[in-house]
Amino acid sequence: MRSFGLGAGASAGQKITALALTVVCAVLVLYPIYYLIQAALNVGDPQARPPEQYGLANFVGVLQYTKILTNTVIVALVATVFALLFGFVMGWILSRTNVPGRATFEQLMALPYYVTPLMGALAWSLLGSPESGFVNQVWRTLGGEGYLININTAYGIAWVMAIFEGSVAFVMIGAVMKSMDPSLEEASQVLGGGRVRTMLRVTLPLVAPGVLGAAVFVFAEMLGSFSAALVLGLPNRFYVITTAMYQLVSQYPPKFPLAAAMGVSLFAVMFVIVYLYRRIVMAGTYETITGKAFRPRVMRVGGLRWSLLAVCLVYLFLAVALPVFTLAYASFQKLATAFPRAGNWTLANYTAAWSMEAVRSALANSLLLGLATATLGVGIMGLLAWIIYRSRLPGRAAIEYLVMFPQAVPRLVFAFGMMWAWLVFPIPIYGTLWLLLIAYLTVFLPLGVRTIAGVLLQIDKNLEECAQMCGAPWGYRLRTVTLPLLRPGVLAAWLLLFIASVRELGASILLMGPKAKVITPAIVESWFATSSELTAAMALLQTLVVGIAVAILLVSTRRLAQLGGE
Amino acid sequence: MASCHISVQDLAVRYGSVLAVKGATFEVRQGEQLTLLGPSGCGKTTILRAIAGLEQPASGEIRIGEAVVYSSRQAINVRPEKRGLSMVFQSYAIWPHMTVFENVAYGLRVRGVRGRELERQVHDALALVQMDAFVGRGASQLSGGQQQRVALARAFVFSPSVLLFDEPLSNLDAKLRAEMRIELRELQRRIGITSVYVTHDLEEALAISDRIVVMRDGVIEQIGAPDDIYHRPRNAFVADFVGSANLIGGRVKLDRAEDGLIAVETSGGSLVFGQSYGRTVGTEAVLAVRTVHAELRRDRPDAPRNVWPVQIRRRIFQGDFTQYQVDWEDRPLVVRCIAGLPFEEGEQVYLHLDPCHCVLLEPS
Repeated sequence: MRSFGLGAGASAGQKITALALTVVCAVLVLYPIYYLIQAALNVGDPQARPPEQYGLANFVGVLQYTKILTNTVIVALVATVFALLFGFVMGWILSRTNVPGRATFEQLMALPYYVTPLMGALAWSLLGSPESGFVNQVWRTLGGEGYLININTAYGIAWVMAIFEGSVAFVMIGAVMKSMDPSLEEASQVLGGGRVRTMLRVTLPLVAPGVLGAAVFVFAEMLGSFSAALVLGLPNRFYVITTAMYQLVSQYPPKFPLAAAMGVSLFAVMFVIVYLYRRIVMAGTYETITGKAFRPRVMRVGGLRWSLLAVCLVYLFLAVALPVFTLAYASFQKLATAFPRAGNWTLANYTAAWSMEAVRSALANSLLLGLATATLGVGIMGLLAWIIYRSRLPGRAAIEYLVMFPQAVPRLVFAFGMMWAWLVFPIPIYGTLWLLLIAYLTVFLPLGVRTIAGVLLQIDKNLEECAQMCGAPWGYRLRTVTLPLLRPGVLAAWLLLFIASVRELGASILLMGPKAKVITPAIVESWFATSSELTAAMALLQTLVVGIAVAILLVSTRRLAQLGGE
Repeated sequence: MASCHISVQDLAVRYGSVLAVKGATFEVRQGEQLTLLGPSGCGKTTILRAIAGLEQPASGEIRIGEAVVYSSRQAINVRPEKRGLSMVFQSYAIWPHMTVFENVAYGLRVRGVRGRELERQVHDALALVQMDAFVGRGASQLSGGQQQRVALARAFVFSPSVLLFDEPLSNLDAKLRAEMRIELRELQRRIGITSVYVTHDLEEALAISDRIVVMRDGVIEQIGAPDDIYHRPRNAFVADFVGSANLIGGRVKLDRAEDGLIAVETSGGSLVFGQSYGRTVGTEAVLAVRTVHAELRRDRPDAPRNVWPVQIRRRIFQGDFTQYQVDWEDRPLVVRCIAGLPFEEGEQVYLHLDPCHCVLLEPS
């Protein structure tokens, strides 16, 4: 019936832009995946490129590493359970009870995300390693035997991962709890259902899909997570699949095909899980989202509210205050121990870190990359978000899948594919910052597009259609209507991309060249090669620099906005 | 008769697997105000958006003036911004980041109008909707009615050939809606622009339209002038949707026809006379009579036909009128009385249905 469906009604400019962006995305996303799979199927000479022999032997090889596979599953499962527990409890307390200071706590719940698992792992290593961990030092001073906690175990790694992923679970579960129409519960109570019956028969079934969705999402993230397992597992030769991959690639001689097979297996599993997640989320939404505005019903919990307040404080203490304080404390010590002594304080770690050319250039490179990634990223990802969610071009659903694809691939695995892909690229970008820029733009596609789309979808479609009815062509519409209305989303996406780029580890650690280092892998290197005190200083320096950069940006955009408004 | 300005031929629009518009054909004359009327989900807004170009039809043809803007057969689909139309949206779609002036100036700027000329035209348009005092205001500081006026000024300021209205008054409160309705009609007459208007509000449609297209489930049920639609509904749906009506069915008694009226015998044996308005008369027929056109009297009315004794069963006071349910032939009829002394429930009265208000419906 539709004989001329291809983009009819869209301007040529729009079609060309969409096509160009699709090609760019396809190259960014699929080209490395192609090389990853090719490497995984290489059963001939591991150095030969392209492979001389193809086969599945590498995948059989992966299965022989049963210890690593079970480690991965145990860590991911335990971390998921704890992260969900944190997320559910915090979500329930902050969206459904009258705990004091709810609004403030809700803001503070973003902090663990900014602390990052890497800093958490460094700090918890200082706190909980069996010999020198501060907690265990205190334990022995109090007369205990051996150690109280050992962070260099599967449970220790899972604990650190769970604390930080807890804030992600909180955001997802909290949103479900808030979006539930309280009249559904009120109806149950009016009809004679008691509190407990209402909870069991109405509340739980309604939030169950959301919680299940969060569980699946968190589990996938945990399977692919890298930094905590690297920092805490490597000293004990405790490997999960991502750290094993890293080890196989960086050892001599490297075992690239086996690492690639591990990457492909992991990504296949995650792909299935992410698919499941989408199914769950799509099936669950109709139940709670009514589109009507309402305030979630707040339960009066009486004296219990002070206990709940304590729960919130304890979580934030463990996830934010304790790690940051521990790193700060260690960074000012000559030799970090649990008990401060007068002669042990020093600024030497900071002066050392700052005076090292490697650290300075790595920090500068990271900032430069952050600026470039964020600036280019919001442009590309903003246009992509518009094309996916606002245009009526055919194939936009396919573009969405393409853009969201990196979500299902751990950054380390993606980086492995890129390493091979860009090594053979005619323009020599391997080992330069350009490769990192390309890598960041690829792995952060879902982050940027989702952030901008979140705001874009809130803009009434009619506002753009009206400009169209006034006769404005596409580019003019974007510039005069869409972009100004999208400003908060663009700014948020810029900041997120900047912060995420400066602190990126998984992709950078494989892709950075010896002459183009970036800061986060440098911190990890320092952790294994030099002192933990110096590393703590570097980690705090990084956080400080990011904080200052963000503050400058926020202040200057506000200033600009004021000037523009006058 | 004025010439045809917009012509819609066999238009079909599909949403996924659902056919939202199933082959609509109508035309809008030069300078006419045509209204698409129907319950929500009937496809009226979809047709409007297809005319605007915001929705891509599955098949059919749309012409504006001489130009074909959409044709599935010729593979033509002109982009919305090139169709020379303008539109007022249900949500007003006032750009919150611009002032009133900037909002109204937008379409002119697109067309390259600058400087003094721009200011003059914006000012004139705002004056026409009595909003010239608000020219420097931010859009967020306007009330619903004011936003509506700005949206209107913005829509006609650049002299489009056609104005499309998508339920523009539905977000206003009842009183303001009634006022704006009159203003809109005035404005439309003054600038003499062809317009297509979508609403689900019957009163609004009757008040502002030159002609009305009544729709249901993606199909056009009737096209006609407001009084035509109201007084001579084509079928049961139109009779009921355009004001409430009683439907009386029965067998046609050709031998009893008198004075150009047709006679219908109900299953209860009553003989009801009505108007066929030239419609084909079969063996079975349904007559529609508006609830306001049925008449109740305490004493027997002096009429030769269509008078029966009935009993009042229910009385419902509704302010402007009182609604009665009466038992007629063991079935209820609804009668709305505007004035007069109230009848008591259980009271015996006379029902009179004037034959000229008993309209023969087309078989559905």
